[in-house]
Amino acid sequence: MKVDIRELGQFNHLASEGAKQAAKSLSTLAGIEMDVDVTDVSLVTESVLAETFADRSFVGVELGLQGGLEGETVLALERERALVLQELLLDATDTDYSSKGSTLAKSSVTELGNIMIGGFIDGWANHLDTAINMTPPRYTEANGPRILPDQAIEAAKNHGVFLFESKLSGMDVDLDFSLYMLPEYRQFVQLLSGNDQGNQIPVNRLSTFEELAKEGAGNAAGQIGMMTGLDTNVDVSRLRFVPLSGVPKQVGNDQFVGVVFELTGLPSGYLVVLFDENSAITIANAMMPGDSTEDEIGSMTEGAIKELGNIMTSGFIDGWANVLQTSIEHSPPNFVHDMGESIMSPVVGKLGQQQDYAFVIDSTIEIDGNEGKCDIYALPNERELARALSALPAQD
Amino acid sequence: MTRDRQRKQSAPIKQVGIAEYAVVTDETVLSTSGVGSCLGIVLRDSFNDVSGLIHVMLPTAEESRDGNPAKFVDTGLPLLIEEMVEAGASKRRLEGWVVGGSEMLSFSSDGDSIGSRNIAAAKQAFQHYGIDVVGTDVGGSHGRSIRFDPADESVSIQTAEDNTTQTI
Repeated sequence: MKVDIRELGQFNHLASEGAKQAAKSLSTLAGIEMDVDVTDVSLVTESVLAETFADRSFVGVELGLQGGLEGETVLALERERALVLQELLLDATDTDYSSKGSTLAKSSVTELGNIMIGGFIDGWANHLDTAINMTPPRYTEANGPRILPDQAIEAAKNHGVFLFESKLSGMDVDLDFSLYMLPEYRQFVQLLSGNDQGNQIPVNRLSTFEELAKEGAGNAAGQIGMMTGLDTNVDVSRLRFVPLSGVPKQVGNDQFVGVVFELTGLPSGYLVVLFDENSAITIANAMMPGDSTEDEIGSMTEGAIKELGNIMTSGFIDGWANVLQTSIEHSPPNFVHDMGESIMSPVVGKLGQQQDYAFVIDSTIEIDGNEGKCDIYALPNERELARALSALPAQD
Repeated sequence: MTRDRQRKQSAPIKQVGIAEYAVVTDETVLSTSGVGSCLGIVLRDSFNDVSGLIHVMLPTAEESRDGNPAKFVDTGLPLLIEEMVEAGASKRRLEGWVVGGSEMLSFSSDGDSIGSRNIAAAKQAFQHYGIDVVGTDVGGSHGRSIRFDPADESVSIQTAEDNTTQTI
């Protein structure tokens, strides 16, 4: 069974449009204007689910899907945000919260979830030209990945689960939540199969993605440790499939210091290593000999970040070359110190000449506990990545 | 003066993402961030009070396989013009601002950078449609965030280099 990248793009588009519909419903019902940030899809295993949802407490509304598309959808928000939403909803309906208690708050969130998920799913039924039935909504509260349905967690253990995530954030209020869609694995793989003409990846190779992310980030983290003597830990490493134009938004518009590399070989692409300003200074000072330090981003920090970036990138792509059994090389470092979205702008521009969507390997490395943080974004050329994965010798 | 300041605080803001555009017919502020090698192009018909902002990534649709016209200068600008005319703008009254096109990265495999090709494409497109250029802030090697306020017809640009805002 093969997965057609264009089909994956099509479903990503549907999820993104669905999230916009859901945002519209919220605006109509409660007058809350929401912005849909980015929609991404990834094939995740149990350990990635655990990392993604770790240490957070959620409130959610869960709905099962049956018929043309089977699976589960969950509207989830962190507990503190749920209180904000409840108050906004009760304000909008002019209800006295204190007298009616939390039952009413729960039912209003449930109803809202029901309507938003309905809007989210409508476009899918049209695309698949079939009916999708929804089970009644269920209000849930849970810590960590248990906010997701048991079936999905079970599937993640076995063969991985496709996780669609659309993030919605309030334009005027401090409110953000995510819409998750977890289609039933076997049926969804069928839907993704497309035709033989497409750009395809054998479905059993999709799990190789996680290996790529882990190998690369693990090697890069090891290199930071060696160069600085600081403890490092790969916090999250995940491969997402996102519209190219959504990539800068995922990086965000904070100030970053880092390096950008062009990759050549199979696959070609780009690798971006970004530190927040404080982390860059911490790292650079740890790398400098003797007592020389810098309080701001100057030439010493630039030199240190370039050197470290070079070594991290070599480690990262060595990891890939091992998994893919290909040869990949990288350009000299391009030093950047700018707003995150702007740094990504030329990268997505370059890739945008060949593709609309991108597989983004996004890894976060913690440095010296919570003292520093480094984000690595790898964006391979999708056709070449598909080719490299397809060329791997058959597994059992 | 006080009234003006109050209005500015409450004027809604419309965020425009990469390869997206927006057209407004009121005082909604148009804003886009992450303009590196991309371009933010603002068009305005002040007589009919129609404003538009597009955030394009690449110079020409020809060099890509993608069908989204808002991604390119040569297909995005006519699209924006068309939408603005539909909203009541007159083509011959349009004037514009062009911001971005910086060269943030240089790789050995590059010919001309995307930034400079975007600027050239915008120049050509403005000439082709006979649109007067009110202001530009292009090139360099830094990113920009842009806000267009229809109320005073100004484009303010923020860069990472300093925290000041430049207005054109």
